This record gives sequence, structure tokens and C-alpha cells, in this order.
Amino acid sequence: MNSYIPTSLEEALKILFEHDCYILAGGTDLMVQNHRSSGLLPTFKKDVLFTSQIEGLDYIKVINNELHIGANTKYISMIESKFVPTMLKNVFVEIASPSIRNMATLTGNINNASPAADGTVPLILLDARLVLQSKDNKREISVDDYLIGFKKTDRKPNEMVTEIIVPLTDHKYLWRKVGSRKAESISKVTFLGAYKTSNNKISDFRIALGCVSIKPVRSKQVESKYIGLTIDELKNKKDEIVNDYNQLIEPVTDQRSNKEYKRKVAINLLKSFIDSIK
Amino acid sequence: MLPEYKTSVKKVDNEEKMSGKALFTDDIQMDGVLSAVTVRSKISKGKILNIKLPTLPEGYYFISAKDIVKENVCNIIFSDWPVFADKEINYKGESIGLIVGEDKKICLDLVDQVVIEYEEKEPVFDMKNSAIHKDFEKGDKSVLNDPNLESYTEKFQTGYQEQVYLETQGMLVYLDGDKITVKASMQCPFYIHKAICRTLGYPEDKVRVIQPAVGGAFGGKEHYPSLMGAQLATALVKIKKPIKMVFDRKEDISFTTKRHPSETTISALIDKKGKIRALDIHVSLDAGAYIGCSGVVLSRALIAATNTYKFDYVHISGDAYITNKIPSAAFRGFGSPQSIFAIEMFLAHVAKKFRYPGVLYKNQYLVETGDTTSTNGKFRDKIILKELIVKAKEMSDYDRKEKEYSKPNSYRGIGMSYFLHGCGFTGSGESDLIKAKLIIRKDKNDIVTFYTSQVDFGQGNRTTLKRIVVDTLGIPEDHVIYDAPDTDKTLSTGPTAASRTIIIVGGLAAKAAQHLKDIWVSGKEQEIIEPYVGPDYIHWDEATMQGDAYPGYAWGVNVVEVSFDPITYEVHVEETWSVYDVGHAIDERILVGQADGGILQGLGYGYLEVEEMANGEFRQKTMSDYIVPTSMDAPKMHTAFIDNPFKYGAFGAKGAGELTFVGGAPAVCIAIEQAIKEKIYKIPANPEYLMEILEK
Ligand SMILES: Cc1cc2nc3c(=O)[nH]c(=O)nc-3n(C[C@H](O)[C@H](O)[C@H](O)COP(=O)(O)OP(=O)(O)OC[C@H]3O[C@@H](n4cnc5c(N)ncnc54)[C@H](O)[C@@H]3O)c2cc1C
Repeated sequence: MNSYIPTSLEEALKILFEHDCYILAGGTDLMVQNHRSSGLLPTFKKDVLFTSQIEGLDYIKVINNELHIGANTKYISMIESKFVPTMLKNVFVEIASPSIRNMATLTGNINNASPAADGTVPLILLDARLVLQSKDNKREISVDDYLIGFKKTDRKPNEMVTEIIVPLTDHKYLWRKVGSRKAESISKVTFLGAYKTSNNKISDFRIALGCVSIKPVRSKQVESKYIGLTIDELKNKKDEIVNDYNQLIEPVTDQRSNKEYKRKVAINLLKSFIDSIK
Repeated sequence: MLPEYKTSVKKVDNEEKMSGKALFTDDIQMDGVLSAVTVRSKISKGKILNIKLPTLPEGYYFISAKDIVKENVCNIIFSDWPVFADKEINYKGESIGLIVGEDKKICLDLVDQVVIEYEEKEPVFDMKNSAIHKDFEKGDKSVLNDPNLESYTEKFQTGYQEQVYLETQGMLVYLDGDKITVKASMQCPFYIHKAICRTLGYPEDKVRVIQPAVGGAFGGKEHYPSLMGAQLATALVKIKKPIKMVFDRKEDISFTTKRHPSETTISALIDKKGKIRALDIHVSLDAGAYIGCSGVVLSRALIAATNTYKFDYVHISGDAYITNKIPSAAFRGFGSPQSIFAIEMFLAHVAKKFRYPGVLYKNQYLVETGDTTSTNGKFRDKIILKELIVKAKEMSDYDRKEKEYSKPNSYRGIGMSYFLHGCGFTGSGESDLIKAKLIIRKDKNDIVTFYTSQVDFGQGNRTTLKRIVVDTLGIPEDHVIYDAPDTDKTLSTGPTAASRTIIIVGGLAAKAAQHLKDIWVSGKEQEIIEPYVGPDYIHWDEATMQGDAYPGYAWGVNVVEVSFDPITYEVHVEETWSVYDVGHAIDERILVGQADGGILQGLGYGYLEVEEMANGEFRQKTMSDYIVPTSMDAPKMHTAFIDNPFKYGAFGAKGAGELTFVGGAPAVCIAIEQAIKEKIYKIPANPEYLMEILEK
């Protein structure tokens, strides 16, 4: 097993072109997943490319009302940034604990593609996109399209994520992370609902639910049914909305919770979100 | 006069631990040390037909039952746990052998390649095969024939609990000359010593156990290290090179002993006014595959079953059941948290049935000084429980809150638990079984050294025991040397368990120091070997469970306030107030450490910590799945002690280690009940369970 610690993106992409590597950012998923036993180094089955020394991948900027986050940006930088909207910050401050947030990246969270990831929920709700680069190519893809299954992404072996792009909006929202405890807690259910109103009418309506399917659940089709209604009309359709999402989610029982609880809480949160709309 | 100890001293191990100089087992380096990794059974019950080993590289060994030197049994109170499973497998994860060799990674790979053929049998996971039954009664039985009494029955369940000591189990063994030498993460050096002597058939002076720095134990290192010791010593005899075995967290959670799950059924005969006239309590404990210490855990559970209350007639019985699961063993509280949870909830429920608010109902049953205990012993020492209650109410503003939160949809609740803890070993165990002897010695320069077998695993007893001797002798602190136990130097003063360290060993240390002081001749070498002599009133009959079960009792009251989120069914513990009678507080800061940690661990037991068993295997095996409270989950805690010196303890001290754990679970559950206006019968009362109750 070889370790590569490139200092430029070009060098990194060349290594990825030539070698089948794990890409390690903060390592807070990879080190745990490849942990062997106490007193031993983790055993990686492939070479490892460390991204931490790559020049120019740690930035947060706003271009054309979109937030551009360099792939190596850590949660702590985003939490402390004046450019990052509070909706995202509220999600990030509940991830893990300070020590993890000082190391870990949102890029890692997306690429780990866990159904229980917190960071992907707002990204999917906000129609965020990723920039992927390989030695000869650069492409953009929505986070929703990128996450293709349980722990599966659309990444080609020689590609790496270099940037996350998040459209900035001024939605009102409700975010709830339901974990087993108040810190260091892998989520059981996450809920993010957002809306906009104009002239007492719902001009935008979005729901993203985490941990209740292989990836965060969002349906633009369902959302579109409710856009254009008055607030009262929307509230009167609470049962229908609940019914819609009840059909979309498919939680499973695991060692952290059971499917009945996840479903019930997801729906309770949805209802309380609808109640909160004004 | 008792010394006033409000100002605490610096813990003697602060410096070495804060600076990282303290060496824990895995930090100890030795040339040529080999690693050991356990080969575990993959089935819950059956017979081993054949063990097929991979080709072992040069310098790698497989150690198993066939290598046993003398006796294939691990010495634990009831010794039925084999060192290595020979033919029979009784639980999934049982040790069949060790792969030992230089590179741990290679050992792990080799373990994966061992192929074992089994003849599988139907495992028993439910509590149906009783291995130990105990039964006793107290009071006038004639009440049972009263036709005017109504019978009321409830059943309570408690789950597994994992100790989550910071340092996982680990042990290093090597030969020093021909002496088997052991350094390990442990609670009871002489337990390991005895277990090794027994399995090897060695005389006592051929085995030496030395305690390095230890990071937490909570009962989890009372018995399991004996098994590791017996296994590693067997390997050492064959291989004759230093061997280290340190568990990874996952292995530790998956295969070491836990708190006994329990089921307690309580039936009361109640008169028209709501007064309980007779009580029948049955406690079932899941012992797992081997009995080990379960009989003693059961005893304590039963003795504590009536908690701080007296009733005209009580019948108490219980069983420890053998199942094909990981053996259950010691954990802070040792059986009493299970039965005290049950009685506290039961009384809270009967109170509701008869519309008594808060603690008013249970207050009518409180024991008082001079009353008989559940086993017809006597509460001889002054009981100040009522003072504790008054103080706790005052501190927490209990009465006002209790009333306010009882309104519908308050989603807030306050709960109050009472509890006691018998200090020291049950019955005459201290005088008959442990027979502690403490050496104190003075050299020509008047430097005093004393020895105990008590392990300081973070709780602070090295500081307090030293202080007891320093203050008794009235000499400067640096004239007293008190090091960690080493079985070559110390006589056994017993295990670091049963909340006995300060009350029993502290008392012994004070007595020894006083004797030395009495005969003190400056410039002369002097030595005293002080034997433990129990209070002469202790008479206990284990067979009938009658008599004085403990030399003394510590008492406590916990008040817990919670809020409840009806959307997510989550409980937030807002604040706690605790008042304890631990006799006289020798070092209040150390006690607060026990109190804060104890109640947090007790709360975790009550509402958070889920450890489920499925097909003989734990489902939560990592720190991210086995949920203990973090500092973010810790409520604001207020703690007070009321002085009530105990005449046999050191400077009036009684036990505090376990006491502070016991009340958390019932208090938080009573509080949750008020917040949700429903009854709880099971812990942990986690959101999934609360949802089930509310949506039923
Ligand atoms: C104690 C603890 C608590 C945690 N709590 C939470 C929590 O509350 N919520 C939560 O969502 N997660 C949590 N996690 C998981 C983890 O911290 C997050 O998923 C984190 O965002 C991962 O980021 P990282 O930089 O450490 O990723 P890494 O471990 O470095 O990588 C994760 C994955 O991303 C891939 N990757 C990394 N960089 C790139 C790149 N540039 N291009 C393509 N692929 C890449 C890696 O190959 C790997 O598959 C927790 C983890 C721990 C250990």
C-alpha cells in the first residue's frame, strides 16, 4: 500500500489517473472504516491519496449568489465563515463533535454516501452541485444525481470532487436532527423543510428527509403539487402531504433505532413544519 | 473530633495522569513481547467437533484447552467458567483458544483462518433454567388471609448495561525468573493471582500481580481479568515469552461481562385506604452462560428489594438463570439497581392509583433507626433519610414543580428516588471470606509505607487512603509512601469492589496507623500487620438469607427534572439534585466526582443506554452505537452531603462508589412519567419505547 500526498490538484489528478486510490480528506469516515484493532495502523486495501496538502482546495466564496466551497474545506471553517448561510451552519454544528468538525469535510460526508449523513440533506434540498475533475475532464453534477445508492456515488475511479456549489436562497426553514444523544450522534432521522411565501401564497416548498431511505428523500414532483397554494390551503392539505411522504420514505430497523420510530418521527416533524408555516 | 474536610487535597495521581506519564497496560513496552488474539466460538451452543488450524508460521502458537496445566476453570466466586472451552460451547464468543505471536496483525489474520466444526444445539436465550434460587420472608404472614385486601401486580424489566471504562481490558504477562508476572487493567489483583495459581496449580509465591495505571472499571474488571490471566498464564508456561493481550473497543463491548438484565414482578396486597399490607417480590436475573458471581449479585438484588421501606409482611425470592449468552457479572450497584428500580416505580404507580401526589405515598413506609432490614437484621446506625429528603426537596423546589408539572401537556416532569446501599461484602463475607490484612511499616528514618490491594482506577482512593494514614499519624504527607498494589508486597485487603474500599480498608488503614502511632519509637524500624475485625453484631446466614447483610448502609436521594419533546419522544435531563449520607465525607471533591459520575451513569442506564441481544450477540458493539451520555447530555448537577459519621468507617466514612449510581434510573423514569402522563415498566426508557407507550 502506498500513500500519496500531492500538493497540487494537477499532481493529485495524475496520481488518480495512474493508481486506484482511496481519497482521504479528513479521514473521519475512512480511518474508522479501515480500523483494524487497537495498537495497529488501519489496514487499507488500496493506495491512499491524502488531499489535505493540495494547494487551493480550501476556500469559501460567493459567485453569482452561489456558494462555492473548496473540497478540502472543513466544517469548522464553514461554521465560522460569514458567507455560509445559517441553514447550513445549523446542520454542521450538530455533526459529531468539535474534534471531528475540526478535521472532517463536507466532501467526505457526501462521498461516504451514508443514508445517515447529515450534510447531504441540506445539499439536496438546496439543489447543490458538485464539480468533479479527472486528469482530462471536468464535470458538474447535482448532489441528488451523484448519490446513486447505499454508499454508492457516480464517481469514476480517477475522478475527485473539487468543489461544492450551493445556490444561496432566503427560504424560511425548519431543521431537526434526531439522534440518540446531544453530541457524537449518528442521526436516526433528519428533517429539513423550507418554504417561501409571497402575497400569502406558497411560492416555494421543499422537503428533504434523511435516514429514511438509502439517501435523503426529496421529491420535486410532490413539492410542485403544493406550490401556488395559499398558506391556509396548504395547511388544509396536511393529511395529503403526510400521505405523500409516508409513501416516499422507507426507513429500516438498525442497531440505532427501529423503522416504526423513524417513520413516526419523520412524519411528526413534517407535521410540525407544516404547522409552523406562516 | 473529626477533621473538617471541605477543602480537598490534590489527587496524588493528578500529575502523572495529566502529563501523560502514567503508564497504562498497553503503554508498557517490553522487548520481544508477543500478542495474543482470542479465537472465539461462532455459535451459541454446541459441541466442538474439530479445530482446523491454518499453518502457523514459525514463532506462532495456538493455545487451547489441551494446554491447560492443571485445572480448566476460571476461579470466580462460583467457578464454572472454563479457561478455554474444551468440548462444550455455551455462548457465542466463548474463548476456544489464543493465537499468540509477534505481529498482532498476523495473529488477527490467523484467527480468521481457524476453521471450527461444530455440532450445533438449540441455544436457550430466555430465562427459564434457574441455576440459583433464593427465598425469604419477613413479618406476619397472617395478613395474606385477609379477604378485604386487593391484590395489585406489576412487572419491570431492565436491560444490559456496558461499563464503558475508558481503558479497554488489557493484560501483559511475563516471566521474572520462574515467576509468572502480570500487569493488567484490573480491579482485584488477588482475584487474578488466585485464578492463575488455580489453573496452573502453582503455589502463591510463583505468581505476582502488579497494578499499572488503570483507566476505569465500574465492576467490569472485577472478574473478566481473571479469565484473561488464566488464559495468558497458560500460554506463558508454554511459550515462555512476554505476551500482551489488549482488547479493541469492539471486542471489549462484544465479549466482556455486562450488568445482568432483570425482570422483577411485584405483587402487593393493598387495603381500602391504599396502604400496602403485604408485598411479594420476585427478581429474575439473566446470568448468561456461567454462574460466576451471579449468586452474589442475586443476593444483593434481593436484600435491596424493599429499598428504604418497611412493610408488615414481605416475601422476597429470586432466581439467576443460565442462558446461552455472554456471562453477566459485576457492575456498580451489583444487583441492587435492578430491584430498586422496580420498587421505586412500583410505589410511584401505586401512589398514582390512589391519587397521592409525588413522594407523599412512599414516605409512609420509610425505615427508621432500629427497624429491621429486609433480612431481619437491624438498622443500628442513625438513619437520617428524612433529613436528606427535606434537603433535596428544598434544593430542587420539588413541591412546587411537582404540582405544576402534573398538569396536562406540561411535557415536563420531576422525579425523586430514595435508595440505600449496603457497604462492603454481604453478610460475614468481610470476616469469613476476605479476611483483609494490612501491612504498615516504618523505617529508620520514620518514613511510613503501607500496602493495600485496592486499585485506584480513577476514583481517587489512592489519595483518600493515603490521607487517612497521614492524618491519623499526624506526619507530613511526604513521609508516607503508598504505592499501587503488588501481590509480592501486600497482603490481600480484598477486592476493589462492593463500596468497601473506604469503609472497610480505610477503617483498617486508620486502625493500623493508630496502632503504629501508639507504639511509635522514632528512628526504629517498626511493622504492624492489622487484621480486619468486623463489628461483632454481624450475624448472617446465607442459606436462609437471614441476619445482618451489611456492616453499614449509605443513603441517598436523587431529584431529576426532565423535559420531553412530544414530536421526537426525546427526553432532556435538565437538572439534578442529590443529597447523600455517606457517613463523614473525607474528601468532598473526590465524593462529588463519584456523585456526578454516578448519577450520570445511572441516568444513562435509565433513559439512554441500549444494549440489545439478538441470537446470542450484542447489536450495539461500538461507541457510536452503544450510547452513553456525553458532556452535552449531562444536566446541571447539584450535590449535597449530610454528615452522619459511621463509627466503624475511617473517620466516620461509609461507602459512596455504588450508592451514587443507584437512584438515577428510577428518578429519571418517575420524572418522564410525569412529563408523558404514562407509566414506564422498562429501562432504558428510550424514545422508541416512549413512542410505543404513547402511541399504543
Ligand atoms: C465520532 C464520529 C461522529 C460522527 N458524527 C457524524 C454526524 O453527526 N453526522 C454525519 O453526517 N457524519 C458524522 N460522522 C461521519 C464523518 O465525520 C462525516 O461523514 C465527515 O463529513 C467525513 O468527512 P472526512 O473529510 O473526514 O471524510 P473522509 O473519511 O476523508 O472520506 C469519506 C469519504 O469521502 C471520500 N472522499 C474524500 N474526499 C474526496 C474527494 N475530494 N473526492 C471524492 N471522494 C472523496 C473518501 O474516499 C471516503 O469515501 C462522524 C464520524 C465520527 C468518527
